[in-house]
Amino acid sequence: MGKLIAYRLLFAVPQLLVIAVVVFSLTYLVPGSPAAAMLGAAATPESIAQVEAQMGLDRPAPERFAEWIGGLLTGDLGTSFRSGVPVAELLARHVPATLSVVAGGMLVALVLGVGAGVWTGTRPGTPGDRVVTGGTVLGLAVPEFWLGLLLTTLFAVQLGWVPIVAWTPLTDDPLGWARGIALPSITLGVTGGAMIARQTRAAVVASLAAPYTDTLTAAGVPRATIVARYGVKNALVPVLASAGVTLAILIGVSFVVEKVFSLPGLGSIMLSSVIAQDFPVVQGVVMVTAVLVIAVNLVLDICYGLINPQARPQ
Amino acid sequence: MRTALRQPTALFAVVVVTVVVVVAIAAPLIAPYAPEAKDFTAPLSGPTAAHPLGTDDLGGDLLSQLIHAARTALLVAVGSVVVAMLIGVPLGLVLGYRGGWYDRIGSRGLDIADALPGLMIGFVVIAILGQGMAVLILAIGLVFCMNFARLTRAITLTERNKGYVESARVSGLNAPRILFSQVLPNLAGPLVVQAAVFLGSAIKVEAALSFLGLGLGDEQPSWGGMLGFATQHTADHPEMALAPGIAICVTVLAFSLLGDTINDTLSGSRMRRTKILGRVLLDGDGARSGSADAALPPASAGTDDGPVGPDTGSVEDSAGEPVLAVRHADIVADRPDGGVVRLVHDASLTVRRGEILGLLGESGSGKSMLAKAILGLLPAGVRLAGGAITLNGTELTDRSPAQLAALRGTGMGVVFQNPQANLSPVHTVGRQLTDVVRAHDATISKEAARSRAADLLDLVGVDDPERRLDQYPYQFSGGMAQRVAIAVALVGEPDLLILDEATSALDVTTQAQVLDLVLDLRDRLGMAVVNITHDLGVAAETCDRVTVLLRGEVVETGDVHTVFDHPRHEYTARLIAAHPGVDDDAPGLGTHDQRKVEHA
Repeated sequence: MGKLIAYRLLFAVPQLLVIAVVVFSLTYLVPGSPAAAMLGAAATPESIAQVEAQMGLDRPAPERFAEWIGGLLTGDLGTSFRSGVPVAELLARHVPATLSVVAGGMLVALVLGVGAGVWTGTRPGTPGDRVVTGGTVLGLAVPEFWLGLLLTTLFAVQLGWVPIVAWTPLTDDPLGWARGIALPSITLGVTGGAMIARQTRAAVVASLAAPYTDTLTAAGVPRATIVARYGVKNALVPVLASAGVTLAILIGVSFVVEKVFSLPGLGSIMLSSVIAQDFPVVQGVVMVTAVLVIAVNLVLDICYGLINPQARPQ
Repeated sequence: MRTALRQPTALFAVVVVTVVVVVAIAAPLIAPYAPEAKDFTAPLSGPTAAHPLGTDDLGGDLLSQLIHAARTALLVAVGSVVVAMLIGVPLGLVLGYRGGWYDRIGSRGLDIADALPGLMIGFVVIAILGQGMAVLILAIGLVFCMNFARLTRAITLTERNKGYVESARVSGLNAPRILFSQVLPNLAGPLVVQAAVFLGSAIKVEAALSFLGLGLGDEQPSWGGMLGFATQHTADHPEMALAPGIAICVTVLAFSLLGDTINDTLSGSRMRRTKILGRVLLDGDGARSGSADAALPPASAGTDDGPVGPDTGSVEDSAGEPVLAVRHADIVADRPDGGVVRLVHDASLTVRRGEILGLLGESGSGKSMLAKAILGLLPAGVRLAGGAITLNGTELTDRSPAQLAALRGTGMGVVFQNPQANLSPVHTVGRQLTDVVRAHDATISKEAARSRAADLLDLVGVDDPERRLDQYPYQFSGGMAQRVAIAVALVGEPDLLILDEATSALDVTTQAQVLDLVLDLRDRLGMAVVNITHDLGVAAETCDRVTVLLRGEVVETGDVHTVFDHPRHEYTARLIAAHPGVDDDAPGLGTHDQRKVEHA
């Protein structure tokens, strides 16, 4: 097990490095100069040169990259072009909301997805299966932000069950925090749940059609035991294998859904920075997201190793 | 396609996609107002006769915006899917075809890209290049190009190793020619399916970006932008959110169902082939039973001419009482169109205590279906249409699933062909054995169940059982895994053990060892054994009697020596003639000589 963790950590390093190189080079892809873009119509060659010098854009790329990586490792992600606030501080302020709704969304997705997948997978072809599986097709087609909009209109605006401006930090008021992230989590959970349900259903159907199911059935093991113990565990193997991708998708979706619920997450600063071409912030958000996804994948891979003995290095 | 359209979902997909395309093309003709027209007298009017969906805060007609937005959605979706394919397909072709380092580095690159949400790529592209139609198309295209690269790579990898690419390479075609003329046509189907699905996904991404205000300007209506506007009016005009959302939903759903429909249509040829196969099966049955009548007495008149006499069920002595008797079993598969395919017809066989019956036949002869029918494990859509199956004199065919479950395990055990697949790959061998032990004795303690599991492993000849209990199936060799599967089957001390090609996947030496084990267990436990095999050598070595199946019908049953030395049916004779070494005088000498011939 220790070996598996070591291997995965080792792979995470080049992965992060490649992403860092790509993210760093982004500023060089901008047509013209970011300084010109920042200054807008008021730009003169002199003011552009001045701002470029301020931003360090006049120095050679390798030197700037070394400096940037060094900064990353010490937690210095530069300062926002627009507001002058350190990026690290901005991120620290906005990560909690994103983490909360993504974790909540993933939880809802797993409960809904595995539940629906096992339920339909054990009765393929029945009317119940058709209805629920049809529901997952619909769940994948619904734009998440629209679903969020409908939920907030109904439950926050019309019924008033949850606050309209939802976000309360966990440390301030745990109950308020939970009420605040309930609707966003359900919104994310429907999409994620639909994805997971389809994978789980296919895996459960395959597992229950596998020869070992017949072997155990013929040997007298009751069907309930086979489904609960063998069907589910075998089905979790492919589901866990793709849970990392599901999570990455949910993070992306959360950036959009945030706007519906006025959540102060990474999406809100990403959005304003994309429009303002505030690259230090864009780079910071991309890096922190990559680290988040890679870290969660690490945990998922370890879970995968716990479930699937063949995934453990010998 | 026409048959596919009979499916309501396919019809829905085609109708909706057609409507959206027509609306998008004819938007200026259909829409009551120009998209930029403002009715300043009626801002935020809500639904009225003049403005069925209401107006925005400047009096713009929302219905007209909705109609023009279909144009935006389709244009961006088609453009971005084209961009995604132009980038992804060549990339996937190169990775899959060149293999080696290209593939290793490229695939790692794709894995790394997985660490970022697709939308993030869209954000970054827009941050760099600013907003606009071309940028939006490029941004969404880049989101999906990885998927096309992955799909293309996977298919190219499999196609690359097929005979036709190999022969094209040998005949001197260069790589681009092979890729474009040989590999790409095989990719076309999956790519079209994928493209249809991603058209829907691209519409969703476009809507999300427009919703965030990162899409096109306000002068270009979009469904996402309309929803963005609706968020400001959840309190006073909640109905504003309905129409654009439904438009997105229905369109995305239609494209994804269109993908399914194309997929079904493309694989339709495969289904037709199965249907033809079914018909051949039926016709073959008819034709053959005609000729069989000439050569043999009809099956119902008693094909069982074995040493104990026809399968009348008469009891000569208690030792000879049949453990299993199958009489006139008909097994059919239900076709979706309501017809049935006959898989097994009028099959009868009996096995007595301590006897090994060989069930012989080529693949597709129905022998495994017969075994599954005996076990009550017929797959969905396949059923026993007639006949009787009795175990120790108890009728099995009219049992409820619960009663059947109670009989399984104590009455019967089974071992299938693939040694690794017989056991769950993610549970230890000990876990599986103890679960079976506890299924038979709910009150047994954990320790006692484990020690019984160890005893069973010992019984089937697995060394060091205590240590082996904690191992996973992949840590067992094929022969050892098959021994474990036999141990699982033996937990309930069954009267009948069914081996369904249980030794076919093993090498000759291991096969002989496992067969010796079966003979030994039969002697020690006095079980009846049905050994299903296509290997006459195996049958000759282990079986007392054999039943030969041809296209679902029993053509011959009898003592193994009698059948092999004096086959009464022409098919059996041909089967034996095809296995040199088995038609010699001593059937027992068969296997190994014959194997040498086969391997030579």
